[in-house]
Amino acid sequence: MDKKTVSTIAYLSRLSLDEENGEKITKDLENIIKFVNQLEDANTQNIEPLASPLEKTAKTREDKVTAQNRKDIFLERSPKSNDDYFLVPRVVE
Amino acid sequence: MSIQYKTINELSQMLKSRDISNKELIQETFNLIDANLHLNAFITLNKDASLLKAEELDKNLSLQPLSGIPIAQKDLFCTKDLRTTCGSNMLSNFIPPYSATVIENLENAGCVSVGKTNMDEFAMGSSNETSFYGNVQNPWGDKLVPGGSSGGSAAAVAAGIVPAASGTDTGGSIRQPASLCGISGLKPTYGRISRWGMIAFASSLDQAGPMARTAEDCALLLNQMCSHDLKDTTSLDETIPDFTENLDKPIKGLKIGLVKEFDLSQLDKEVVKVFEESKKQYETLGAEFIEISLPNISLSVPTYYVVAPAECSSNLSRFDGVKFGKRCDDPKDLEELYIKTRSEGFGDEVKRRILIGSYVLSAGFYDAYYKKAQQVRRLIKNDFDDAFKKVDVIMSPTTRGAAFEEGSKGDDPIQMYLEDLFTIPANLAGLPALSIPNGMVDGKPIGLQLIGNFLEENKLLRAAHNFQLSTDWHKKTPKRDIQS
Repeated sequence: MDKKTVSTIAYLSRLSLDEENGEKITKDLENIIKFVNQLEDANTQNIEPLASPLEKTAKTREDKVTAQNRKDIFLERSPKSNDDYFLVPRVVE
Repeated sequence: MSIQYKTINELSQMLKSRDISNKELIQETFNLIDANLHLNAFITLNKDASLLKAEELDKNLSLQPLSGIPIAQKDLFCTKDLRTTCGSNMLSNFIPPYSATVIENLENAGCVSVGKTNMDEFAMGSSNETSFYGNVQNPWGDKLVPGGSSGGSAAAVAAGIVPAASGTDTGGSIRQPASLCGISGLKPTYGRISRWGMIAFASSLDQAGPMARTAEDCALLLNQMCSHDLKDTTSLDETIPDFTENLDKPIKGLKIGLVKEFDLSQLDKEVVKVFEESKKQYETLGAEFIEISLPNISLSVPTYYVVAPAECSSNLSRFDGVKFGKRCDDPKDLEELYIKTRSEGFGDEVKRRILIGSYVLSAGFYDAYYKKAQQVRRLIKNDFDDAFKKVDVIMSPTTRGAAFEEGSKGDDPIQMYLEDLFTIPANLAGLPALSIPNGMVDGKPIGLQLIGNFLEENKLLRAAHNFQLSTDWHKKTPKRDIQS
């Protein structure tokens, strides 16, 4: 875990780290990754990964619209919107 | 008549016999909140709506099971038209347009949601020190942490302000603060309680649950919190029993497992002494102890610190400053909007976990970390499956020690992560587990953990209730004990 790796994953996470913070976090991440490296010791040959304790397939339901259209309230409570859309800085010049 | 430190049943009785009106009860609850502001247990109060609901209940006799009972809701549950921050600056202005299913269930049962409790930011922490809204004080002593992440809920119940609170538990966030504050708390089987409207941290681990003064009250709350919810695909479609049924039934012959791999010699001598005394108590009640082996249990914390951050980095990608919550000022383009909003909105612990998550999920590392952790997770679950062929419940201390001082875990995040050593395994395997007060160390309470098999909350609650019928650790209160 070096500074370059940290700055790459920070970008992937859309986070910026300032100089001081960056060093501390790099050190922390290094220690945490070292800590989780204990997992290497486990013999996991032919073990199926467990993603959820339920291991059930999500149930299907009848294809019926149940949601109400609540556009107005969602737009009203967003950081910036007009009558129909969430607004963000211009993407296409 | 004082309502402080009363249980749900006691308050229900007072309401039924008209010793107190609904409005007086809620007014008195807010007086207690005001008298305990130094605890910083609440982020947002719901006073006007609560008093209004109480007045309604006074006017119209209600037969709802929890009618008029004041409850503190962890600020991780969306509450309609009531600010929900999740302990973060990111959601400091977020007013949800809907309530979580579990909040609706509790309110439909008659509960009055008096406020939203402080918590570690996005439930990431074990001491409540990561909250954007400041630390919560443990009512048992100055500068003591209440545990986390449901620290505000635990402190509010421990201080006797409310008889009940909701919590969530991803790696111990109900049980660890329950232990450190001397109250009872239950994490149900994964899927028992709908996660709809709960702000997601790690979706395969998160589970809501009750926090209260007694196991019996936890059972009363659980009865109302559980439901099969079509809005949550992981919500269980299983029969929901009456969790209060047979609580009094003796536990003679109950087989309690003790985990060979939990090395208690590493713990403080006083903590071990308390644990040994609880074993004796259970022997007196007719339980028998069987040593069991969970060979992969020592890998629980490292497994958790791959799985939970991976899921967190994915879940928290929704906070981008576009649709709700905070947005940075004057972004020059869309990318800066994302980056600045997230960098300003999240605290350090949340950032650390997002970064670990992005790292273990990135191409080239996915198999070595994420897949490997999921494989070890299955080994841990298999260990529990084998153990529950021999025993009814598994018993351990909930925490390595009693409440610690603010700042005492220093700068090393791993020291804090190890705080959840005993609680994390139940989340990985999706099993129900609870913590009840079982002794005092240096004048501070400490808890006992019982882990049950899939869907066997009843067995856990019965074992806990029997313990509480024959001991009075759950009756200790900070004020009474400090004065005496």
